Amino acid sequence: MLDIRNLYTDLGEFSLEGIDLHVNEDEYFVILGPTGAGKTILLETIAGIYPAEQGKIILRDKEITEIPPKDRPVNMVYQDYMLFPHLTVEENIRFGLEVEEFSEDVISKRVSKFVDLLDLENLLHRYSRTLSGGERQRVALARSLVMDPDLLLLDEPISALDVPSQERIMKELKEIHRETDVTILQVTHSREKAIRMGDRVGVMREGKIVQTGDSSEVFKKPDSEFIANFIGTDNIFEGNSKLDDGIAHVQLQNGGEIVSVSDKEGHVKACIRPEEIMISKTPIDSSGRNTMKGEIVNISERESTIQLDIDAGIEIAVKITKKSYSDMDLNKGDELYLSFKATAVHLI
Amino acid sequence: MGKNMDSNRFKAATGFFLVLIVAFIISVVACVVTHTTPQALINNLTSAEILFAIRLSLITATASTVLCMIIAIPAGYALSRYDFPGKSIANTVVNIPLALPPLVAGVGLLLFFGQTALGKGLTSIGLDFVFTPLGIVIAQFFINVPFAIRIMRSTFDSINPRYEHVAKTLGCNETNAFWKVTLPMSKNGLLASSAISWAKGMGEFGAVLMLAGATRMKTETLPLAVYLNMSSGDLELAIAAATILIIVSFSALYVLEKYGGDANIY
Repeated sequence: MLDIRNLYTDLGEFSLEGIDLHVNEDEYFVILGPTGAGKTILLETIAGIYPAEQGKIILRDKEITEIPPKDRPVNMVYQDYMLFPHLTVEENIRFGLEVEEFSEDVISKRVSKFVDLLDLENLLHRYSRTLSGGERQRVALARSLVMDPDLLLLDEPISALDVPSQERIMKELKEIHRETDVTILQVTHSREKAIRMGDRVGVMREGKIVQTGDSSEVFKKPDSEFIANFIGTDNIFEGNSKLDDGIAHVQLQNGGEIVSVSDKEGHVKACIRPEEIMISKTPIDSSGRNTMKGEIVNISERESTIQLDIDAGIEIAVKITKKSYSDMDLNKGDELYLSFKATAVHLI
Repeated sequence: MGKNMDSNRFKAATGFFLVLIVAFIISVVACVVTHTTPQALINNLTSAEILFAIRLSLITATASTVLCMIIAIPAGYALSRYDFPGKSIANTVVNIPLALPPLVAGVGLLLFFGQTALGKGLTSIGLDFVFTPLGIVIAQFFINVPFAIRIMRSTFDSINPRYEHVAKTLGCNETNAFWKVTLPMSKNGLLASSAISWAKGMGEFGAVLMLAGATRMKTETLPLAVYLNMSSGDLELAIAAATILIIVSFSALYVLEKYGGDANIY
């Protein structure tokens, strides 16, 4: 759907250094990268705000590298929304359609569709300065979506919001993605959002895309030390969650069950940070905990820790200090008992 | 305790200087407005000469303000948004009239319009700036346009270019994005910029005197009315003109305080 080949842009402070990226039709693609990686300028270059110095941007088999932003079927929502302060919410949403001189009929039809979808009815006559962050975000989304873009670019759409608004926007983004045929390309610096939102994920560093893949794949098998350090090697397992008295029982896809303190039901991804897992050479008996038995398949040294990859039916990474590693005298092939609290399991 | 007393004394000393200058300014202004009786003031304000000066000042200041804005909006925008070779030189040159004594600027304008081929050419097609009301407009424009440009530049600086970026992805070309988004968002800066150009235009003396001359009932704006009547000893008429200029200044100050915001004038 979107094909970017060897794209270079230089703004002095930030630059793109040969971006190669492929996004599929109808996909929700998330680019994850630290501050200063060049994420926003990548989106701006796709939108046509900044010219490409080299390389190609191809959208639905049509090269758009040289065409002006207004003629690209691409819309963008900035992190700080950029609602026009001199216009009301309704005028903001209608802005693009009026510029393009659509008939009043089309304008009101499209506007009311997204006003309904994003629940903006009560805000229509207000000015952006009186809106909360979450409300602004929804207006900015509506203003872009009425243009019926092929590709919607989202610059950190969630991170600046308070937690309840984050939840709501994430749900609404998923809903928008389901109900329209728009392809979404989002950038974020947050791992959790990347795992949760992205069908696929690309990791960006210093103007380059350094790895792409399914979110679980990227997080499980980071290509490089940088990615491993940046994203942290979370254990991520897909499964099905059933609630029972405030505790979620997650039936993992590849067998086994883990429990979590969570109110999420249905299809989930269970994340467990490797340093939250305790190990022992003897069985651990403790209620309210997840326990497993497994075998060490790999031992690798990180900056200040040792990572053990353990096969316990599922492959699970554990981080321990160098001291406990030498105290416990662990070797490849050793059998270990693992335990982690229900509160250490994060369902997304 | 000693430290506290020290700081109180310092506070009192600095405060004393502030009170001194406030009292001085109020006294000077009060001297002008309280010199005549209200009845005499009204009589003088409605004299043919002062009415002429009011009318001429209003027309020329308004015309020069329009001219200032026509130049200041695009020039301020270019200085704010674009990088180009010679930008810092352009910026310095644009500010020259700020530092130049208006009288000297007036001499320059007189030579430019009176002596050069361009000036003579303009005269031959009917645009005569020397010793005419048209010269008043140009003199006011030349002195005030740097202020207008500075205010517009800092206004555009304060507007995130991403607003224009969004407008472009929503179907605007550059011009459209400017008219539909940036300019309406600059409303306060436009108001502040126009107000200061207009008020300074009303009060401009030195450059106007040099280029347009001081001909009674021909190029006699309010400041020139003050000058001419003071010279000829008609103190009452001079004060009537001065009083109006004080009112103009106060109104402009009010508009600036209200809408100037963070527009950086100096």
